[in-house]
Amino acid sequence: MKLAYYPGCVSQSTGKEMDASTRAVSTALGIELEELEDWNCCGATHVSNELVATGLAARNMAQTDLPIMTACSICYSNLRAAAQRLEETETLEKVNAVLDRKYSSARVRHALDVILEGLNEGDERIVVPLNGLLVAPYYGCLLTRPAGLYSPEFPTILEKLIKRLQAEPVDFRLKTFCCGGPIFMPKEKAADDIAFKILTEAKKAGAEVIVTVCPLCHLMLDAKQKVLEQKHGVRIGIPVLYVTQLAGIALGLGPEELGLFMNSVSPMAMMEKVYAMLSE
Amino acid sequence: MPGDEQFKQEVLRLAGQEVLTCIQCGTCSASCPTARLMNPSIRRLIKLCLEGKKEEATQNETLWLCTSCLLCTVRCPRGIRPKAVVSALKDIAEREGQRSKDAAYEQSFLKQIKDYGRIAELALTAEFLLVFPQGAVQSMQMGLELLPKGKIDLKIEKIKGRDEVKRIVEELRKK
Repeated sequence: MKLAYYPGCVSQSTGKEMDASTRAVSTALGIELEELEDWNCCGATHVSNELVATGLAARNMAQTDLPIMTACSICYSNLRAAAQRLEETETLEKVNAVLDRKYSSARVRHALDVILEGLNEGDERIVVPLNGLLVAPYYGCLLTRPAGLYSPEFPTILEKLIKRLQAEPVDFRLKTFCCGGPIFMPKEKAADDIAFKILTEAKKAGAEVIVTVCPLCHLMLDAKQKVLEQKHGVRIGIPVLYVTQLAGIALGLGPEELGLFMNSVSPMAMMEKVYAMLSE
Repeated sequence: MPGDEQFKQEVLRLAGQEVLTCIQCGTCSASCPTARLMNPSIRRLIKLCLEGKKEEATQNETLWLCTSCLLCTVRCPRGIRPKAVVSALKDIAEREGQRSKDAAYEQSFLKQIKDYGRIAELALTAEFLLVFPQGAVQSMQMGLELLPKGKIDLKIEKIKGRDEVKRIVEELRKK
């Protein structure tokens, strides 16, 4: 299978491990990725004018005829929302008037959905089954919104993938609650409080690892975890992996390929446990 | 004092005519992750728009506390998109040159897209700190965490289609 790949801006910086693991897992599953030509920023959550946001997404989507895959829920939500708006002729005409390559239609997919589709039940490529590892499925908000493919509040696709990797999803009450990320620069405290609540809840649910599908969720829960621990004087110590990293571990890919050394909270103790179970 | 009808119509144009059907049930406020910090609440913000109270609707912290999580939008029983109302108000405030640290962050973001086609997080942070030096502590903490991991990119990537992107940002905003 061949897909167009939209890495998104964070692939060059805070989300390098997201990008590395997405590419590695795709290769392992026999999915060929063709990077979208000369892609631009989707606007994230910071472009207030909807028509401008639609235009930015349309330019990206017009670069290919292949289905487009991204591992970032923000990019994914923006492209999907734009594709919905571009179904209206008036919007389509306004946008196409300023584009070089004209937009006609697009199919947008999240890496999560592509990986799940690519893995069969009891797939023999799962050489490191995660044997009951307790995983908190953290969707955040934008994978499932605007509404469409998944239930915006009670999605189950992450749990399905976690089980397919032979790990155990924990019952995680805040799984579709926002991480606070989009306002972390100008409204630090408000964002930090939300992220801390999510981490605490995951710990209470007994999770050994949190899995995310968005680089901003990942930043808030992983890169900020130490600061949040210091602020509140508590120890959390839960590794936070991208779904592509978790799938990559089960597929037997190495820490280097999956960018696991780039995670702030080291997943190595968790990895050791997984490997120890393997040799039992 | 009569409300500003032109302002109300502009909000409806940007966020959708269905805003008129709001029944003030407060589901949006009850769903919002930052509701407890908001004043006016998101429910009240919509009322202010419908009453044409431009100043109260555009000059408040509520707009900048929205995380764009869309929970209000997927839950609204009237099919209104409260987050789109927030975006419309930000757009109006920005076009009229409203200055605040929060508006500055969004403006820097859009300027980067216009100039480079992509976001360079380091340059974005640096620019934001010029208007909001109090953010330096947090940025240093993040920098110390991310730099050794190789996750801060010092170079700014520029795409080839910058003229096209500039056109998207400037011309579509006028339509």
